[in-house]
Amino acid sequence: MGLQRNVSLSTGLRYKGHSPFWAYILHRIGGAGMALFITIHILATFAEQQGWKIGDLINKLYTSPAFQIFILFCVLFHAINGLRIVILDLFPKKLMPYYRQIIRAELALFIIVFGFAVFSVVTTALGRMS
Amino acid sequence: MEVTLKIFRYNPEKDERGNYVTYKIDAHPNDRVLDVLEHIKGKEDGSLSFRRSCAHGICGSDAMRINGRNMLACKTLIRDVGDHITVEPLLGLKIAKDLIVDMEPFFDNYKKMLPYLINDAPLPADGKERLQSPEQRARFDETTKCILCAACTTSCPSFWANDEYYGPAALMAAHRFIFDSRDEGAEDRLEILSETNGAVRCHTAYNCTEACPRGIHITQAIGELKLAMVTGDID
Repeated sequence: MGLQRNVSLSTGLRYKGHSPFWAYILHRIGGAGMALFITIHILATFAEQQGWKIGDLINKLYTSPAFQIFILFCVLFHAINGLRIVILDLFPKKLMPYYRQIIRAELALFIIVFGFAVFSVVTTALGRMS
Repeated sequence: MEVTLKIFRYNPEKDERGNYVTYKIDAHPNDRVLDVLEHIKGKEDGSLSFRRSCAHGICGSDAMRINGRNMLACKTLIRDVGDHITVEPLLGLKIAKDLIVDMEPFFDNYKKMLPYLINDAPLPADGKERLQSPEQRARFDETTKCILCAACTTSCPSFWANDEYYGPAALMAAHRFIFDSRDEGAEDRLEILSETNGAVRCHTAYNCTEACPRGIHITQAIGELKLAMVTGDID
């Protein structure tokens, strides 16, 4: 009967969810980003032990300011959003009616913490250059 | 006002894949999307297929994606969605024809929740109904409002990824009976909810809560179920 049920990634992303849906997507991007970082880190360490030049190249990639900002985004968003989910899961009756306000507070906290982290990475990188 | 409707069309007898057909019709801003669909079916293209029954937001037949979001066509006014409207079938269920999806997997999941009162205890001494205080009734009032339209389940990314997941609507049926003071099947239902495809697959994306045409706080109710699964407390 009829067309299959498969929902492609692009179709799912086109669904017009609200802020919690986007937090859900960013949470997964954050998780995948961290997994990517750990994989690269392990590969780089292994390559360096073997004396391969590629290890040095990978190290340069993940110590670059752009990658540091990306990984900081992943870690901080995943952590702060995860904290929101845990707190709401613990107090569904009391807190879940205010989920819209809570997600706004989460985003405000994330912007402050992430902004500070980016500032720190950028000033350190500029200090190295001068 | 002139309204441009882009409607997903799929005829299993002719088409290998779906396509979009655009219709331009005159409508009043206070018309509902369902009125416009009825107009197209009645006056322009009788082959257009969609479900509808009561047309007043009670039967839950005409849930569909309107401008990318699950809604009931009979509760959505043209003025609220603008003059360019895209109408598509619900996500995550097989498309039977045009806007009609196969609801069987959805109802199969619903039935798994034992959605009926379980109480084998003898009736009260007067032989009449089992009484309940207003507070006890209020405990599950929210989830009695569900009309099984599937707008919640088909907006859930966990359900898109895996239709074995029971989905928010089925979990609402479980909530409705688990927190009913007259029911004695809570333990069985909590065990079902603890299965791999149970409440743990809810990742609190809140799409269900936002999509529910009855305004049920679905994610909150699922949160209450998760807590009951862990603590065993159903008060």
